[in-house]
Amino acid sequence: MSEPLLKLTEATIQFGGLIAVNKVSFEIERGQLFGLIGPNGAGKTTCFNLITGVYKPTAGSILFEGKPIGGTPANKIAYKGICRTFQNIRLFGSLSALENVVVGGFLRNRSSLGSALAYFPKAISETERLKGQALELLELVDLRDVANVRSADLAYGMQRRLEIARALATKPKLLLLDEPAAGMNPQEKVELLQMVKTIREQLGVTVLLIEHDMKFVMGLCERIVVLDHGEEIAQGPPEEIRNNPKVISAYLGEAV
Amino acid sequence: MLGAIYALIALGYTMVYGVLKLINFAHGEVFMLGAYGALLASWWMGHGPNGQAQQGSWLVLGIMLLTAMATSGGFGLLIERFAYRPIRNYPRIASLITAIGLSLLFQYGGQIFLLEGKFQAIDGKVMPASLEGDLKFDIKGKNLALLDEAKKLRPELKEAAAAFDEQLKSETSRFQLSPKGTELRDARDKIDRQIKDLENEANNGAVSISISKAKLLMFGTTLVLMVGLTYLVMFTKPGRAMRAVSLDFNAASLMGINVNKIVSLTFFIGSVLAGAGAMMWATFISGNKIDTFMGMAPGVKAFVAAVLGGIGNIPGAVLGGLLMGVSENLVDWAGYDGYRDAIAFIILILVLLVKPGGLLGSNKVDKV
Amino acid sequence: MKSPAKFWLTRIVSVVLAIVGAFAAQGAIDGMKNSFVALLFVLAGLYVTLAVSLNLINGITGQFSMGHAAFYMIGAYTAALITKLAWKSQMNPMAWVLLMIVAGAITAALAGLLVGIPSLRLRGDYLAVVTLGFGEIVKIIAKNQEVLGKAYGMNNPLKYQSIFLVVLLAILCIAVCRNLLKTAHGLSFLAVREDEIASAAMGVNLTKVKVSAFVLGSAFAGAAGALYSHGLAFVSPESFSMDMSFLIVTMVVLGGTGSITGTSIAAIVLFLIPEKLRDLSNVKMGMIVGIGIALIITVALIKRAQDHYHKSSPPKAVVVIGLTIAGIMLAAGLGAGLANIPGLAAEVAGSKLRTVLLAVTLVVLMLLRPQGIFGHHEFSWSWVQKVLGKKNVPNVEVAA
Repeated sequence: MSEPLLKLTEATIQFGGLIAVNKVSFEIERGQLFGLIGPNGAGKTTCFNLITGVYKPTAGSILFEGKPIGGTPANKIAYKGICRTFQNIRLFGSLSALENVVVGGFLRNRSSLGSALAYFPKAISETERLKGQALELLELVDLRDVANVRSADLAYGMQRRLEIARALATKPKLLLLDEPAAGMNPQEKVELLQMVKTIREQLGVTVLLIEHDMKFVMGLCERIVVLDHGEEIAQGPPEEIRNNPKVISAYLGEAV
Repeated sequence: MLGAIYALIALGYTMVYGVLKLINFAHGEVFMLGAYGALLASWWMGHGPNGQAQQGSWLVLGIMLLTAMATSGGFGLLIERFAYRPIRNYPRIASLITAIGLSLLFQYGGQIFLLEGKFQAIDGKVMPASLEGDLKFDIKGKNLALLDEAKKLRPELKEAAAAFDEQLKSETSRFQLSPKGTELRDARDKIDRQIKDLENEANNGAVSISISKAKLLMFGTTLVLMVGLTYLVMFTKPGRAMRAVSLDFNAASLMGINVNKIVSLTFFIGSVLAGAGAMMWATFISGNKIDTFMGMAPGVKAFVAAVLGGIGNIPGAVLGGLLMGVSENLVDWAGYDGYRDAIAFIILILVLLVKPGGLLGSNKVDKV
Repeated sequence: MKSPAKFWLTRIVSVVLAIVGAFAAQGAIDGMKNSFVALLFVLAGLYVTLAVSLNLINGITGQFSMGHAAFYMIGAYTAALITKLAWKSQMNPMAWVLLMIVAGAITAALAGLLVGIPSLRLRGDYLAVVTLGFGEIVKIIAKNQEVLGKAYGMNNPLKYQSIFLVVLLAILCIAVCRNLLKTAHGLSFLAVREDEIASAAMGVNLTKVKVSAFVLGSAFAGAAGALYSHGLAFVSPESFSMDMSFLIVTMVVLGGTGSITGTSIAAIVLFLIPEKLRDLSNVKMGMIVGIGIALIITVALIKRAQDHYHKSSPPKAVVVIGLTIAGIMLAAGLGAGLANIPGLAAEVAGSKLRTVLLAVTLVVLMLLRPQGIFGHHEFSWSWVQKVLGKKNVPNVEVAA
């Protein structure tokens, strides 16, 4: 029962001579809001790339619901229930906001390509269903009004929220947010904080997020892992991390 | 040697791609215009189509080369300024279609203005006498002692042959010899075989290469141009700017580099190289004709060469070009000349399947 | 969601409409009793199929293919070869051609599969070169095989030029692409075009999408090839040159990448321009020079007007139209004037100007409207309604 949703055991990846992530281990419980922090270049996004199948770990294991997923292709991992947003926004620029979210939901689509090509009722109804679901998600992230706007034309903060909606459309069990608050003003950050909490409550999604804004992370996450130079330097609840001397020195530099 | 020409043209593709990420399909036509430049220069200097001219000289060749380079370079600049620059900020595919359009325009439009599109060729006589013929290099010497021995047998052979010829006069038929005739013939053949065996043995193990002097000159010129290009790109200020632009177009312009100037320069240099290639292609490779469609085939192959080496990569283009030339010669040599034009693509596909970024290209992974 | 009965009704009606339309086209062209017009019509229809099917690969899925003529060729040769080997004159020609369409589509689809696989590893320009190379290799193989008639080509024993089938194939191809775009499947294809990494992260199966696009696109090209082969009763390697692939790519881009309507229109226009110009009369050299100069000036002015356009100045369209008219007048004046200069009085055969004009059209269009005629837009009835200011126009579905 108490099996963790995601479990990294000494996950490592090496690019040539550079060890980007070195023996990182942590466990995420179901329903948890989990934070991944660290200075620039600490290997946080690489860690995300390992979990979502962009890269294959060179050593160590990644278990999702008890099953190994290291090296599984990205689309299969999404199907298993891990989905992510991107640090540098990667929306489908010329598609509308609604269409972006429909693509997110497409992997749970139950009609065949053949039926789409022949425009059979099955394909039509599935498309309708995905559109309906997409509209609900847009409502959740407060983008319903701009559903038909080209996503490239949306404001920055809207694009970030759209990425979350698109990821949620895949019906993930684990949602990975890569710096969701980057470039947002304080007001937007407060709203985002609330939104992430709502998402967890309404959809029961476990969230793993990377964030630089300490106030944001400390205010949201229940447990935090700190990386520095690819290595894990601390792990624990926010209060502990706040006072951990190793973390402080990693961020502020060693006191001479 | 064809590889050298491919390499020169490929450089133009690769340089333009490096700065603009654009496949300049009109590059083959720039090559064609260069060849016309060389042709007109040769006519102007008295090597007209009527073939009245005297032996050429180094000066003639030099002027032809310069004219070809200037023609190509000029057209390269014009194309960049008036066709590519206005749409630089639109999707690349628009430039690509423009390039195809320009290519058609030069091919067919050229037929109206350029010598009515008839096949033309540069008079072989433009080359100075000292450039004709082959250069022979002995890599491993022959066995001279054996050759001497063979030489000593020569008078004997002559005697035997003379005796046989004498006998032949009294024979009724060349094919039905009398016993004496047969004997004399066999004696002659024996000596002849002895000499041949000795000579064969002497030559056996001797390796020599013969290259036409013109092709050697071609190779040398290519080499000089490439060294010049390397110097320009690696050690001069505009070269550094060029590399900067190819790495990051926008950042380079923010750093105060006049991007327009650099792009023009890149087009100019690439085109000049194509012009040089065109002049040599049309002059030194016998049987090559000049018409408005001549840029097509070498253009496509050079482009393939550029991709093979890793497009955007200057040494890659040279490597790809040389490889392409060698493989085409090999296919010819193996007797599959029908597949000559396919080999380039087959090699390309095989290489790209293993190394998607080309031989020397970096296999860039999108940053997530 | 409509009720099933209504759905099937509209479906049957649209299929019947397509068939009737194809018959009507056949009847109209046959009525003209002009075999040249019929041939042009057939070829134009095939080009529509080719361009729309390439649009599926290039425009919708974003996989830059430059070897579409190869699939066309494979279909054509397949039909010619099988017919040569197996056809008996007592068979029903229509049924046989239908069978050959299927055969051509299948072989071309297999070839598409072969090309689609490298597309998984190669991006952008590299894929473009590989597809280009594939086209050349196919052509060179045909040139070297005895059974395929080497460089001369081969005859297809069954000549069967059917406008009906050509139109039906074009409608089927357009319908399939349109259907795809109307469903979530189509969106996943578009997503791959927009961003491969993000679509993979959203669970889109890149392999499946890319390979299906290649297979489908080449199958339609192969089917068109079979019709070509029977329509002309002759195939030769030179008819499927690299230029043809370029032309098809151009149709897609000019029509507006991804837009089915734009692509179809561009296919017809780009095919017919050179054909129409076939009987151009001779022109004086001076005229060409004059028109050329005027064209350059006009394009430069229009471009400038486009780039420096401000809200306060008169509407853009007015400026562009005004400049165009001025340009035409300038061209006429300069052309007539320069034609009288003795040195430029030499006559140029009109036939030589054909491709030149096509090339000029291409360059000028790209300079002035780089996004293609239709951009990403699609012709739709609601758009017509908007233009006409009408409402309640019945929504006719073209589907098969």
